[in-house]
Amino acid sequence: MVEADPLPLVVRDLSFQYRSRTEPAIVEISLELHPGEIMLLAGSSGCGKTTLLRCINGLIPHSYRGKLSGEILLYGQSNAGMKLAEISQKVGTLLQDPERQILGSYVLNEVCFGLENLGLPREEMIRRGEAALERLHILHLRDKETFGISGGEKQKVALAGVLAMQPKILLLDEPLASLDPASAHEALHLFRELADQGMAIMLVEHRVEDVLTIEPERIVYMEDGRICFHGDIQGLVQVVDYHRIKLPAQVVVERAKAEPQPNFEPAVPPLDTNNPLIEFQQVHFRYNDDAPEVLHNINLKIHAGEVIAILGHNGSGKTTLVKQALGLLKPTKGKVFLEGVETHTLTVAKAARTIGYVFQSPSQMLFAPTVKEELSFGPKNLGFDQETIARNVQWAIETVHLEDELLTPPLALSFGQQKRVSIAAVLSMRSRILMMDEPTAGQDYWNYQAFMDSILQMPGFDSIIFITHDLDLALIYANRIIVLNDGVIVADGKPVDVLQDRQKIKQWRLVATSLLELNFQMYPKTGKFLRAEALAQFMD
Amino acid sequence: MEEKKKLWGFETKQVVYAAIGAALYAVLAIATNMLQLPGAGNVSFRPAVAIPMFFGVAFGPIVGFITGFVGNILADLLSGYGFWLWWDLGNGLLGLIPGLIYPTIESYRASKSIWRAEIFVVLGSLIGMGLASISEMWVSGADMNTVIFANFLPAFISDVINGLILVPLLMIAYAAIVERSGRD
Amino acid sequence: MLVSWRYKYRNSPMDHIDPRARWIFSFAFLIAATSTWNWIFLLTYFIIALIWYRLGNTTWKETRSGWRLVLFMLFMMIVINTIITGGGAGGVVPPGGQLVWPNGFKLFGETVHFGLTIERIWFAFCQVLRILGISMNFILIPYTMDARSYGATFSSLGMPDKLAYTTELAIRFIPSLARNFSVTMDAQRARGFELDDIKGGIFNKIARMAPLIIPVTMNAILSSEDIADAMDLRGFGQGKRTWLYELRYHRWDYIVLGFSALLAIGGLVASYVFHMGDFIVPQFFYNLFA
Repeated sequence: MVEADPLPLVVRDLSFQYRSRTEPAIVEISLELHPGEIMLLAGSSGCGKTTLLRCINGLIPHSYRGKLSGEILLYGQSNAGMKLAEISQKVGTLLQDPERQILGSYVLNEVCFGLENLGLPREEMIRRGEAALERLHILHLRDKETFGISGGEKQKVALAGVLAMQPKILLLDEPLASLDPASAHEALHLFRELADQGMAIMLVEHRVEDVLTIEPERIVYMEDGRICFHGDIQGLVQVVDYHRIKLPAQVVVERAKAEPQPNFEPAVPPLDTNNPLIEFQQVHFRYNDDAPEVLHNINLKIHAGEVIAILGHNGSGKTTLVKQALGLLKPTKGKVFLEGVETHTLTVAKAARTIGYVFQSPSQMLFAPTVKEELSFGPKNLGFDQETIARNVQWAIETVHLEDELLTPPLALSFGQQKRVSIAAVLSMRSRILMMDEPTAGQDYWNYQAFMDSILQMPGFDSIIFITHDLDLALIYANRIIVLNDGVIVADGKPVDVLQDRQKIKQWRLVATSLLELNFQMYPKTGKFLRAEALAQFMD
Repeated sequence: MEEKKKLWGFETKQVVYAAIGAALYAVLAIATNMLQLPGAGNVSFRPAVAIPMFFGVAFGPIVGFITGFVGNILADLLSGYGFWLWWDLGNGLLGLIPGLIYPTIESYRASKSIWRAEIFVVLGSLIGMGLASISEMWVSGADMNTVIFANFLPAFISDVINGLILVPLLMIAYAAIVERSGRD
Repeated sequence: MLVSWRYKYRNSPMDHIDPRARWIFSFAFLIAATSTWNWIFLLTYFIIALIWYRLGNTTWKETRSGWRLVLFMLFMMIVINTIITGGGAGGVVPPGGQLVWPNGFKLFGETVHFGLTIERIWFAFCQVLRILGISMNFILIPYTMDARSYGATFSSLGMPDKLAYTTELAIRFIPSLARNFSVTMDAQRARGFELDDIKGGIFNKIARMAPLIIPVTMNAILSSEDIADAMDLRGFGQGKRTWLYELRYHRWDYIVLGFSALLAIGGLVASYVFHMGDFIVPQFFYNLFA
């Protein structure tokens, strides 16, 4: 009898509870991974995905303590007795945020970090480091500074650092979270390439729709620390809650037919094209005299009643553009008007009365000891009187439904709550326009729709503008889409007109989604773009 | 936490805190130099000194020392000011001395902890800036009076005031996030 | 806010000296220069420092910010030390001495008696030589030392790996934190916060830094958990590590090392064994005031 080679990874009856918690993070997990296979591990945040990965790569129990039971076999050998340095040569882990994983100032230094720790001689390090870069087709980045390269490149450099350790198993923890759609697809195809070379890959992701394009061999779905489903895609779509993870639009429509769908209307006033709130006149911008121009001849009018999505890939100039409106940056050439006043003559504090700008990450602005003080900060800076401040704070906190947390430190709240506090902190200034940078970043699918729904239905704004690279977000919520590519406005108009040409979408480094396709099919019946659940009522 | 805090531990976690602290101190020192607090007179005010003090209190004396020592070196290197070992060591002590109370702290928002931190902030500034100033006598040949008026007092007063105000604010903010890490 | 390293490769002689030899030389210089107040020694050291500084091929334009600071400090100290407090300098300059204006001088019709002595002027000159000599050694470093070299150099000079690596990691996070600071600054400005519009006394002004300092600091602390994970997962701190940065002594490096030893030991021996390091004022200087 011939004995089969042991599998790269076998997990049996694995449970873990963190020392400081009262509930276990994962319960009786069993699964196996074959060489050359990609396993998609799907689930919303808090489902235990990250804990499972930490058990496999040894961070549990080496760096995180708690109650651990069950076993993990790497090529037939239990990982319990192995040192982290030993495990790291069998199991490579790519963490969610490459910014926090990259440890070297220069690309080759980063790629060789693990090899330095193994104490390898220099020639060996350089050989292995270059081979890893070559394998990911990024050898040209070898001597670049890690700080200056793009997000997609950072992801690949971090992966090269993991591959240089020559693992046979790869754990990828939400690797698409910080990438724009085109870079995400590139990364996915790279993962497939690695699997085809024999790597066993476990891919944790809640953007299920995107991952399906590379046809993972196995799909595991987790909820509340347990595996609820293990099988193929057909099986998955029948089992899971489509609100929790993002499935292809056709599937959602099928499933949603059976359920009643609430009607959704944004709360902005009717369109008024007479008095533009913001106006850009031939705006050009460069950061300094030596730097290249990043915005070219921008002409734009924004009116009350508009919900605008500014679409574009990472680095296309979206954020630079909206910063001009607030006066955080001033045009090098051309003019920007805010309610008819040129921004050159305005302080940012004055401009903030017109535009409330919510930054991408709430932790970049939260500082006060209580939510109440956090919300009063803006109106106080704007010089409002005590009574107005108290009234605004009350209104803002009620609008985001966090009345009970008024005396909690904002830093102690969950990410989703912090995000709402950061919106409320802008609401309390009672600006006329709400402007948001990547409003759904860092939130999983479960939170992100509910979050956008509630913002769009908030009273008090004449216009809402958001920056995103997520096409679905733009087509569901916006009544006008502006596409920015390399600092130029390449399209501006109604969603149905702007997104008509799929070839152009590709050129803009965006990705057409199944929801977009379905919406075009249904357009004769619907007359407007809708979310998948809402499309269901138009199906026969 | 049930386990006792180790005063002098230096594992991966401390390496990261020390490195992040040093980088932060350097960046904030340069940033606040550029902002130039108005009305502070001829005393060069550096609110960033609160960083090594706070990192000492939050993560122990070694982290505090490296934050101040390496941070000051990096700030000087980045500004092109060169390398001044005795002032770097003095900045290290700004963080090390408040770091001595690290094992005694249970809650970062308790007024007991804050008072204790404040006392050690004063001590740290006194010893740290005192040492750096005295070494100036040996290096530059200045006399005691000169050292006191030209070096010690401006540095000491600025560090103490900034530390006394900002360290408690940082401690209170930190109290809100301290429970969020699951790592040992 | 843009924070960038001032280092650039300029194919200067300094670029070809091993960083370890350079650090050793500069510390040897520091030891030698601080062991004497004899102007002949100080002048010799000053010339050595000048030659060393020239090896770096830096330009005035790039180094002037550093020099401005050093010259300002030097000026302040000399003015206070020489003119105001009448510097005894820890017993280096003996009390008494020859007054520059023994009979006082006339200012606005009044006779002013001012105790400036010739010895103190000469001592100020010695201070300038010493401080400029030391400054030339250390101001050179940021412009001519590769930021990638620090970890490997310190480790090779005997610093524990973990400590040496800390400097490397700190360097890695400087640009990220500088960017985070800018973002926080913008985010707070978007909430109407203005730094130049700070009202109230000095205490208020400092407390108003909180909205900038707190988010940047707490964010940095929150990200350190992931960073530590990333390091552990790649085997950090579990054995003796090697460094990608290549350090190699060449023939000329041994000359630098030998010269450093000579400088430090020679300086110490001359001062503390043969007592040649005492402060003396040369006769020609007295003659100038005769």
